[in-house]
Amino acid sequence: MTVATMPTSQKPKLRLQNVTKEFVAKRTGQKTLAVSDFSLDVRPGEFLCVVGPSGCGKSTVLNMIAGLDQPTEGSIVMDGQLVTRPGAERGVMFQDYALFPWKSVRDNVGFGLKHGTPGNGLSPVERRERVDHFVKMVGLEAAATKYPHQLSGGMRQRVALARLLANGPEVLLMDEPLGALDAQTRMVLQVELLRIWGEAADHGERKTVVFITHGIDEAVFLADRVVVMSSHPGRVSAVIDIDIPRPRTEHIRSEPRFGQLTDEIWSLIRDEAYQAIA
Amino acid sequence: MVSLMETRSAKELSEIPVDPSAVRRPARATMSPGQLAGRFWRARWFVVLRAFAVFIALWWGVSAWVSSPIQMPTPAKVFDAFLGLASSGELFQHIWISTQRLLVALVVATTIAVPLGFFMALNREANAFIDPLVELLRPISGIAWIPLGLFIFGVGGTLPVFIMAYVAFFPLLLNTVDGVKGIDRKLLAAAETMGVSRRARLTHIAVPAALPSVMVGFRIAFASAWAAIIAAELIGSPSGLGFAIEWYRQLLMSPKVFAFIMTIGAVGYLCDLGLRALQRKLTPWAEGTGIGQ
Repeated sequence: MTVATMPTSQKPKLRLQNVTKEFVAKRTGQKTLAVSDFSLDVRPGEFLCVVGPSGCGKSTVLNMIAGLDQPTEGSIVMDGQLVTRPGAERGVMFQDYALFPWKSVRDNVGFGLKHGTPGNGLSPVERRERVDHFVKMVGLEAAATKYPHQLSGGMRQRVALARLLANGPEVLLMDEPLGALDAQTRMVLQVELLRIWGEAADHGERKTVVFITHGIDEAVFLADRVVVMSSHPGRVSAVIDIDIPRPRTEHIRSEPRFGQLTDEIWSLIRDEAYQAIA
Repeated sequence: MVSLMETRSAKELSEIPVDPSAVRRPARATMSPGQLAGRFWRARWFVVLRAFAVFIALWWGVSAWVSSPIQMPTPAKVFDAFLGLASSGELFQHIWISTQRLLVALVVATTIAVPLGFFMALNREANAFIDPLVELLRPISGIAWIPLGLFIFGVGGTLPVFIMAYVAFFPLLLNTVDGVKGIDRKLLAAAETMGVSRRARLTHIAVPAALPSVMVGFRIAFASAWAAIIAAELIGSPSGLGFAIEWYRQLLMSPKVFAFIMTIGAVGYLCDLGLRALQRKLTPWAEGTGIGQ
């Protein structure tokens, strides 16, 4: 797959070009090809979901975009700048949230503003207002002084989202952020996530999202496009446009188009999913 | 049956101080007489008191059997001696001297062991170099250094401080290394993606993340140091609780010897309660996760 064939007239927000990642086990020297020849353009302001069987290298791709891992070959470019290390313009939300257990909800949300580059040039009052704004946005005012271990899974997830947004990243990298939640909470938070992302769009600052999930219905519900990955090694097997109009609400889950798209994606990874457990 | 009862009460003893909120106490008004009685039997102060009562009863029995006031004075005699020492102020003088030495030793051990532990955990080369030395010295009891210490420091306050700092050093160092090595890498990665500098990651992530483990090390260090002070003062010091024990032993005043021994236990117990409270205050998030309890 060449990048030039990507159907877009806009300049991509992110461009992954022939990205390959090989892990070498320290002791045995054994090599594992996690991601191979992965090419993808992510458009500005789009909500992109990546699905694929377990162990297909989804998280590795995300870590490389974040700058936490370096590709063995190929390049990752954001707005024309080569990605070489982590930066606050690419915010990450981890699967188990990675909240700081010794910090209250407020202090977790404000951590990047206080200790990192996102807080540069902001006065303490501005920082506080920004923290207040995002704590309120995720509906955690009442729990603002609590610590992560005192919160439910859904509330922790909201803290992680508020913390991510408070740092004002241009690209949101989300690694199965709803994976650890029960089915009901997950559905509620999917709607919530779209609301928050959509609200930002009203201000003309819609964020670019790369969202990793193993839930096909979740991907269809959330995404503008779904990247389907195959494993061993991880590569792009298809990119599917989700043509369900926005704003999306609960009722689209019962629409025929939703079912069609879900089936289509499932048919692409079904064989591998069966192989994986055989 | 007896052994069953004992295991249960031992379990209660260990559980109650760990997490007081886990023991839900119904309101008094809604409880039946049976529940009220159950609550009485399980109250922490009662459980502790019961243990002490059994201990004192046993002691009394043994002292009556031995019937030698020098080998084994009765609890009553020891209590008298205790009151005498307390009213003359001698007791507090020795407590003050010993705790002062303890404090100095812990400060010295902490200021060396904790930064060194961070350095070892973060630097592979340093760890490879220092770790074998630590493992060589660690099995050597602090008491083994007393004879040599007497040559170097002479009889006085320095030797006990040295011995205590020595024994406090190892648990602090090893727990710090463990704590830093055990830091959740994702927390550091998360901070990195927020544009937090390396230096700030060290002070705002690594330090608090390692703190629960360091606090555990500190409690063990305190207990080891307090146990070692007596040996050190017994031989190498003209003052302090250990010295007082040796002094009254030579005068064959066993009740006073026992009073000082009890005091050592009581001070140690109270200090540990204080340290636990400090631990809960400093690292509340580690509570309920089993760390540091």
